Amino acid sequence: MQECFFVFCGVKMEVLKINGVEKHFPAGLMPSTVSALLEQLDIKAATVAAEVDGQIVERNKFTEAKLLSGQRIELVRFVGGG
Amino acid sequence: MDKLVIADKEFNSRLLVGTGKFASCEIMAEALEKSGTEIVTVALRRVDIENKNDDMLRTIDVKKYLLLPNTSGARDADEAVRLSKLARAATGINWVKLEVTPDPYYLLPDPVETLEAAKILIKEGFVVLPYINADPVLAKKLEDVGTSTVMPLASPIGSNQGLKTREALEIIIEQANVPVVVDAGLGLPSHAADAMEMGADAVLVNTAIATAGEPGRMAAAFKLAVEAGRTAYIAGAAVAGKRASASSPLTGFLRNNKEK
Repeated sequence: MQECFFVFCGVKMEVLKINGVEKHFPAGLMPSTVSALLEQLDIKAATVAAEVDGQIVERNKFTEAKLLSGQRIELVRFVGGG
Repeated sequence: MDKLVIADKEFNSRLLVGTGKFASCEIMAEALEKSGTEIVTVALRRVDIENKNDDMLRTIDVKKYLLLPNTSGARDADEAVRLSKLARAATGINWVKLEVTPDPYYLLPDPVETLEAAKILIKEGFVVLPYINADPVLAKKLEDVGTSTVMPLASPIGSNQGLKTREALEIIIEQANVPVVVDAGLGLPSHAADAMEMGADAVLVNTAIATAGEPGRMAAAFKLAVEAGRTAYIAGAAVAGKRASASSPLTGFLRNNKEK
């Protein structure tokens, strides 16, 4: 995928759309993998499933799966249900 | 009680419990414990990034209970398949309670999309437990494509109306070669006992426990009811009749004495 970015106050910014909300990072500070993102969001990886651009990333690939600016990330976990 | 076998797994409890609508995780944990259940259903939602404490799994002992993720929220087969795959990625378990409910008022399951999703999921290696209306023809079709149970509803989800689909459930139970789990609408332990007496293999209860005055105590009541119903089914019901049939001897000595 083509990497995308934009410039904000002279600083190059990168963006991830996480659960429908855009999150901006100064270039170079964007988490580079799914595990890095979870760590930054303070979310335990053990109970989470992740999709990157509609493709499921298995948990054992969280540390390897590279993130690129502009990607859509879905993070889901279990809640009460019948 | 005799064991319930679903796919290749054996269970001692015939009561499945849903985890929605509990006032707190602690109340839920107590209810699960008292219900004696071994299978608990859960739903998938986006992580609330602003509230890291929304992790409910911290109070469910996954060594003790089999987590059965549902596909609630799915309105067609594609959405149900996507949710199932996410659930499998989150649990590592390939069991799924398939539910496709496009109608928000009665939450009635879509038979066409459910059958379609079941076919896809079974090809992908899932153990599929489909939530369906009490439709005997659909139940057979699902069984034929390889679902591991059928889960017909007693009445609409969360309605607590009890066994409104009795006649159709009886046909499903009579014809099924996979376990029949009566799901949705059971509002009282007597409803659950009734379903089990009819020959249902198991029942799934959520709202009736979660929204009871004391969920833990109600969970215990459902446990007893399911056990009673199952035991009665195995014992074989006595025949019902219109007229009285004396349980005590009527050949009295009282009048005979008077006649002397």
